[in-house]
Amino acid sequence: MTQISGFALTRVSRALRVRPVAKDARLCDICFMAVTVVIVDDHPSFRTSARTLLELEGFEVVGEAADGASALEVAAALEPELVLLDIALPDTTGFEVAERLARGPSKVILTSSRELRDLGRRVQASGALGFVPKDRLTGAVLAELLGSST
Amino acid sequence: MRKLVALGVGGVAVALGVFAYDVQVTDLHSPHDHAWATVAVGWSFVVAGLVAWLRRPSNRLWTLLLAAGFALLMRQFRYSFDAWLFTVFFVLGELPYGLVPHSVLAYPSGTVVDRYERALVKVGYACVLTLPLAILFFYDGTRPLLTYNPLDPRPHDSLLLLHGSADTVEVLQKAFVVFYYGFVATLFILLIARRFARATPRSRRILAPLLLAAVAIALRAVFECVLIFVHYRFARDYLFWWQITAFFALPLALLAGLLRAGFARARVSDLVVELEYAPPEEVGGALAKALDDPTLDVAFWLPDAGTYADAQGQPVGLPQDEARAVTLLQHDGEPLAAIVHDPSLLNEPKLVRAAGAAARLALENAQLQADMRAQLTQVQESRVRIVAAADEERKRIERDLHDGAQQRLAALALQLRTAQRRLDSREADPTVEALLECAVLELQAANEELRELVRGVYPTILTEEGLAAALESLALRNPFPIDLDVLEGRLPARVEATAYFVTCEGLANVTKHARATRASVSIARRNGLLAVEIADDGVGGAQPLENSGLSGLADRVEALGGTLRLDSPTGGGTRLSAEIPCES
Repeated sequence: MTQISGFALTRVSRALRVRPVAKDARLCDICFMAVTVVIVDDHPSFRTSARTLLELEGFEVVGEAADGASALEVAAALEPELVLLDIALPDTTGFEVAERLARGPSKVILTSSRELRDLGRRVQASGALGFVPKDRLTGAVLAELLGSST
Repeated sequence: MRKLVALGVGGVAVALGVFAYDVQVTDLHSPHDHAWATVAVGWSFVVAGLVAWLRRPSNRLWTLLLAAGFALLMRQFRYSFDAWLFTVFFVLGELPYGLVPHSVLAYPSGTVVDRYERALVKVGYACVLTLPLAILFFYDGTRPLLTYNPLDPRPHDSLLLLHGSADTVEVLQKAFVVFYYGFVATLFILLIARRFARATPRSRRILAPLLLAAVAIALRAVFECVLIFVHYRFARDYLFWWQITAFFALPLALLAGLLRAGFARARVSDLVVELEYAPPEEVGGALAKALDDPTLDVAFWLPDAGTYADAQGQPVGLPQDEARAVTLLQHDGEPLAAIVHDPSLLNEPKLVRAAGAAARLALENAQLQADMRAQLTQVQESRVRIVAAADEERKRIERDLHDGAQQRLAALALQLRTAQRRLDSREADPTVEALLECAVLELQAANEELRELVRGVYPTILTEEGLAAALESLALRNPFPIDLDVLEGRLPARVEATAYFVTCEGLANVTKHARATRASVSIARRNGLLAVEIADDGVGGAQPLENSGLSGLADRVEALGGTLRLDSPTGGGTRLSAEIPCES
């Protein structure tokens, strides 16, 4: 599921180095370009829930992928600013996908139903920007991680 | 009675030897020592033949040895100037050199089995009997015979003279030496070499006397050639003593080889005593020693498994190729054991069976122990499989929880948060907001508990990153500091899981009972074992292992062939240590 319009917006937003902001005027006084996101998870219910929440919180979800191979394809095609990447994928691990994506323009935040301390040293070694447990996912957490990298 | 006969035969041999000595000294003008040495060679064959007859009468080799001995003694009569003695024993004079190769090729069974060897023996007999006979048809005494003393001008009298021709006699004599001591002797040595090339290591030891025979025949051939063609006295004297020595030793070596089976029988009878208190592992070695076959092996029949096994109870197959032979032993009609041995022992089936009978009690004992060990091995393998199956089941539960409940709870958390955001954007009922906030918190708590449960079932980090990372994660969640000293690198999954669960349980006990301020976990590899140790500075006095919650873990460690120990003196801290076999 890709959105071609998001592709163009992504290029502009990276040039402006924008912060994630809400598109909804009632949530935000000054509207900037939204951060583009691709959600990678093999559970459709999580992708749907995350998309709804993140879009509500001002992110623009430009694509989704259900496995590692699709994630790489979608990320290469759309060049999102952020890839929210699940660690447990059916064809590979999120760590390996993160290592591949780290060479490209997109930043990666890993997510899992486990906690960071259950995952060992590979989160840091993967080149990902950070980690957020799935049940703690919010736009603010992502914005904080993105903000800490700029 | 048999000994008396042997004594009589020996007496005849002595008398013939003395007469042969006299003929050599008187008529051939041989030196005394040469004459005695020649007689001694004949006697050594007679003695070997008689001893073989007394000890191994069933083996026909004794007849050949005895015949060769008498033929060697009487061969000297051909030097007599008596016409009858000269004629008869000149014709029979080379017969010993047909009988000696025959004896050698008939060793060790008493009969010549190989068809090439049989052919050579026949050629030998034809040669040694016909050519001397032909010589006597032409010998008229005008020129001395080649092996006779040239200084004695007296002619011998051939009763078979047909046409006197000194030249024909000389040609026939030389032709005999060339054909018999050149061609036939070479073939004889080649046949011995062929036997060695084909023999198994054990057979080669048995065939060792044949090497001496090959040397003796070779020396004899060179000696004859020197005698007939070279006339070099110095070389002749030396060669005389070498070939005499070799021929003297030859029958004794053949006899020793023949009696070797007798020695083996004596060793077999010693087996009964030797194996009385021997452990099962030594039964094979003792049989190998008794039967003089270092390659011998014993396999024990396992009635329940319907297969043969070694002393450790490990199943083994019996060899099917010709390089090894198998003798099956039974007791009361039931298979007992299989002796896998050198094929040369097939020539001595009674000996192998006697050894098996002598070792029967020890074999039965070893069979029982092998059977017991096989069953024990099966039980141990079964325990390992149970542990592995339990681990697999834990992993499956962990996957199911992760893919099912945890994903649903995560989605639910996001949906609740979405609902909160939507309420934020409207003028919401504060009660609903509070309810939603409460639901979010409850959900987070439920998620936390579920994660804890999943970790306890089987931590994914252990599967994915190994023991060191899993224990680091464990230490992070522990309520008090832990000194970790853990071996890096991956180990077999069941070893990692066992070490992990031992550490988990140990640390849980420290938290619950020890009132410790610090704990340490050390995991290292020592002598093929993974040594796991969890120690604390708490109050000690923990319950014995068998009464504690650790007994299940002890079973798990023992299933892998390891041990679990608990050392907890009152007031002296607690030390839980496990040693788990872990080959690198």
